[in-house]
Amino acid sequence: MRIKNYLIQRVIAIIPILIGISFLAFFLISLSPSDPAEVALRVQEITPTPEVVKSMRCELGLDKPLLIRYANWLRASLHGDFGKSYINNRLVINEIGNAIPPTLALVAVTLAIISSVSIVAGILCAVHEGSAGDIIFRGLIFWITAMPSFWVGLLLMWLFSVKFNWFPTSGMEGFTSVILPAVTLSLTYISTYFRLIRNNMIQNKQENYVLYARSLGLKERTITRHILKNSLQSSLTALGMSIPKLIAGTVIVENIFAWPGIGRLCVSAIFNRDYPIIQAYVLLMALLFVVCSLVVDFLSALLDPRLGLEV
Amino acid sequence: MLNLLNTLQREKRLIIFKRALTLCLTSILSLSVAAFSIAGTGDKSPIKKSQLLYASTKDIRDINPHLYGGEMAAQNMVFEPLVVNSDKGIVPALAERWDISEDGKRYTFYLRKDVRFTDGAPFNSTAVKINIDAVVANLERHAWLELVNQIDHGEVVDQFTYKLVLKNPYYPTLEELALTRPFRFISPRCFVKKGTKDGVTGYSGTGPWVLSEHKNNQYAVFTANKDYWGAKPKIASVKWKVMPDHQTILLALQKGEIDLLFGADGDMIDLDSFRALEKEGKYQTAISPPIASRAILLNAHQPITSDQKVRRAFQYVVDKKAIAEGILNGSEAVADTLLSPNVPYCNVGLTGYGYDPDKANQLLSDAGWQMESDGYRHKSGQLCEVTIYFNSDNSQERTISEYMQSNMKDVGVKLKIVGEEKQAFLDRQKTGAFDLQYSLSWGTPYDPQSYISSWRIAAHGDYQAQLGLTRKAWLDETIGKILIEADRAKRQEMYREILTYIHEESVYIPITYSCTKAVFTPGLKGVTFNPSQYEIAFEKMYFEN
Repeated sequence: MRIKNYLIQRVIAIIPILIGISFLAFFLISLSPSDPAEVALRVQEITPTPEVVKSMRCELGLDKPLLIRYANWLRASLHGDFGKSYINNRLVINEIGNAIPPTLALVAVTLAIISSVSIVAGILCAVHEGSAGDIIFRGLIFWITAMPSFWVGLLLMWLFSVKFNWFPTSGMEGFTSVILPAVTLSLTYISTYFRLIRNNMIQNKQENYVLYARSLGLKERTITRHILKNSLQSSLTALGMSIPKLIAGTVIVENIFAWPGIGRLCVSAIFNRDYPIIQAYVLLMALLFVVCSLVVDFLSALLDPRLGLEV
Repeated sequence: MLNLLNTLQREKRLIIFKRALTLCLTSILSLSVAAFSIAGTGDKSPIKKSQLLYASTKDIRDINPHLYGGEMAAQNMVFEPLVVNSDKGIVPALAERWDISEDGKRYTFYLRKDVRFTDGAPFNSTAVKINIDAVVANLERHAWLELVNQIDHGEVVDQFTYKLVLKNPYYPTLEELALTRPFRFISPRCFVKKGTKDGVTGYSGTGPWVLSEHKNNQYAVFTANKDYWGAKPKIASVKWKVMPDHQTILLALQKGEIDLLFGADGDMIDLDSFRALEKEGKYQTAISPPIASRAILLNAHQPITSDQKVRRAFQYVVDKKAIAEGILNGSEAVADTLLSPNVPYCNVGLTGYGYDPDKANQLLSDAGWQMESDGYRHKSGQLCEVTIYFNSDNSQERTISEYMQSNMKDVGVKLKIVGEEKQAFLDRQKTGAFDLQYSLSWGTPYDPQSYISSWRIAAHGDYQAQLGLTRKAWLDETIGKILIEADRAKRQEMYREILTYIHEESVYIPITYSCTKAVFTPGLKGVTFNPSQYEIAFEKMYFEN
């Protein structure tokens, strides 16, 4: 009952947030100096003569007052109708629906890389805290993370694709295509989670339960497992919250590696001022962040009752 | 005892470390081997290539030939016109021949009898009529193309004869019928609600290629049309790969994942990369004859540039030769006039202004702009400062602008450089809020008729820049008259008048005549250029054994 109330209260709290975001998404874009009717014509390479602009304004409903347009858009959006793309006249929901699975695939592989590398490296460096290996690895991770992802992406492409011929340069044709973009994307996040795990493990090593376990004569392997279990909790929360960040942050990598996901769709929409796609993208990303935050909070509270189920 | 325990603990840790390391390395190795084995089965096959791999930054999108949402090169592969532009002028395509009535208002086309659309529908005069009617039914979308406005009606004379009746003797009729769009033919079975303006159900044309697969934003595959009426393509298929990043395209070329790069004005490959690949010697390169004009538009409707002496001074300021050789690597010829003399009707005996800073200084002084101690010219307390705008996506335009800034500084003019997103750049064209703006003509076969016709449309920068001219109304009126003048000599005379006027008023600083560039793998042969920079002649390409 307590869980049910918690969920209901959190879901109710989401509604004004989403309305606020939808309002911003709609009105900020309407402040743009470009007339959407002209933009819609230009992206289709049609000369925006006054007659054609007038006709397009009618077609897009731009001849109606702003608030009415917002209400219409919001009502339609709630039914999954975000309008049609200016670029290709296809339904926005279909465009986004087609772009999400490739991005999810990319994010899944990226998460697998982030988790495996962060955990393995975090354990090794925590166990061998202060060793030469620990210092070198931390330095290396810091150095790699500091490099801009477009540059790393191109370097990886040149080395592993052009020179070694291990992977295709770009595109989405087969499993091998996902490796380079996923590695590029994961490099930004590995340092965060690796350091989080390492530091948590070092902190946990000083805890009384470890001393107690040692005094009981438990195997070192068992003790490390306990330390890891306790250290991973906060990292998993952080990793959960990084899922929407990863989905929204694939823009550069998807463009470099010609990955047909949501990031590329968004960039193309921004450059062409494809407002229906931008509005839908902003709204969906906001929804994703809010929902992920709710899920993570809920799971954390379930895993650690000390946190409590409070709104 | 304690030491022994510590030693044992260390050993245990070492074992854990070794196991974890082994696991990690094994995973990486397995992944690499798997990737290697799969990637190794890629395009490096020794057998004869039958598929041409072409990379573009853009998807083909909707290739409905009667609309403008798709890539023109892809539309040209699938759909054909009645007549086609060639190096020799207009030549037959789906029409074997044609007659033009004495008054220049009736065009009778005699169609080929051996053509079918790829969905099996016959190509005949009925198909021609409903296609042209579908274009005319969407008149407002084709406002840029004067022919659409000039069509009165079409008639089916017999099964293979079609008559096009115009309102006026519009002289570029055949040229505009030959354009890549919209007068191309799609199977009537693909029509929606008896038209094409609301979309089509398929892409069945009569051309040498059939669109057999399209993955949105990924790739499109065109296979050779086995029943094509003309010379059949020599390769089995063309794969159009979408790669939004230019660096990725270059790396893909080096890896052998693509065979061809093709484009104009730095849209696919910038000149530095083109020259670098050319020097590397591993690839073949080709440059088309001049196809369009690269110029700077001087706005006669802005305070400083409204003075004809100032505009004339700017003509002498820009060192075009240095731009052509230093920035464009000598790949383009210096332009003395807005349209090259080899463009129809444009050889009107105009003389270029040339680089002459002394003349520029004199003209600016005559216009009242006096040099002051800060190194810039002033007039009534106002600094001689103008701004040039360009599309920030194009690095070439930025470099040219920077060079011009240095030229202008030499004569005491401050040139501000502003790169803008494409849409903002186009918005500025429409509002006319610019002193100088980068400008490209439409290129063959649109030059001169469609290009000068666009000068009359307010959404274009040309119109806005010409608004400050005292004879703008006469200019627009004369352009209208040229397009429907049946007598060639009179047309030529009117072209001479408007081109001379524009030249003397110095509304454009012609820079160079731009070209289309191609980079391709050594095995690929038959890479040539169509008259239109927007088309790619894939059907002429083939792989040598």
